[in-house]
Amino acid sequence: MISRPEQDGDQQLRLLADAWDQAAEHWRDGPARHFGDAELGPLLDESRTYLEALRKLMDTLEAAERETQG
Amino acid sequence: MTGIHADIDALKGLHGALARYRHAQRDVTARGEDQVRATRAALEEKASQLRAQLELSQGEYADCRERAAQAGPEDLPVDCSGYARAVAQNAERLEQIQLWRQRIEAEASEFSGVAGRFAALLADDLPRMEDHLAAIITSLEAARRVQAPS
Repeated sequence: MISRPEQDGDQQLRLLADAWDQAAEHWRDGPARHFGDAELGPLLDESRTYLEALRKLMDTLEAAERETQG
Repeated sequence: MTGIHADIDALKGLHGALARYRHAQRDVTARGEDQVRATRAALEEKASQLRAQLELSQGEYADCRERAAQAGPEDLPVDCSGYARAVAQNAERLEQIQLWRQRIEAEASEFSGVAGRFAALLADDLPRMEDHLAAIITSLEAARRVQAPS
């Protein structure tokens, strides 16, 4: 079964968050905090917003295909 | 040695993860767009088929009504109710498809704003982050070389 795109996107988001957690264990200086707060944080937030919107749209597309069958 | 450079290794890992993330999410966005296009095309095809069926059923219904109008008092009664039902069913299904198409257009339009911001983030912001991280790694590596005992 082919996965829906937003599910793969969620998986990629988790992988990136894990990579950040691993990096943050060793990188704890000022630039690290700035990178996490000002760059990575907004990226993760915007990604979640996008993936949620994509999920909603994919739900609608699936419903349209299902409800107009036959 | 591993402990000393653990931060650099961790940053390189994060740098690689960011690049993979950018490529993977671009694929996600492309698949999302493909899915919208595919559903639009499928609904258009269904609507086209139903329009043809509707025209056909309307024609058959009109023929039946004409036969009914021309029937004499001695002829058997002409029942056109089956044709009328077919017309109504085809019209209803076509209407349902048109409503779904309108809903998809509305939601796709709403989605395009979010998708546009995310696409810009992947195309512009993320490469900048990767460059920033690469510069930090280079800077840390240079500092370690300076500090390393000769």
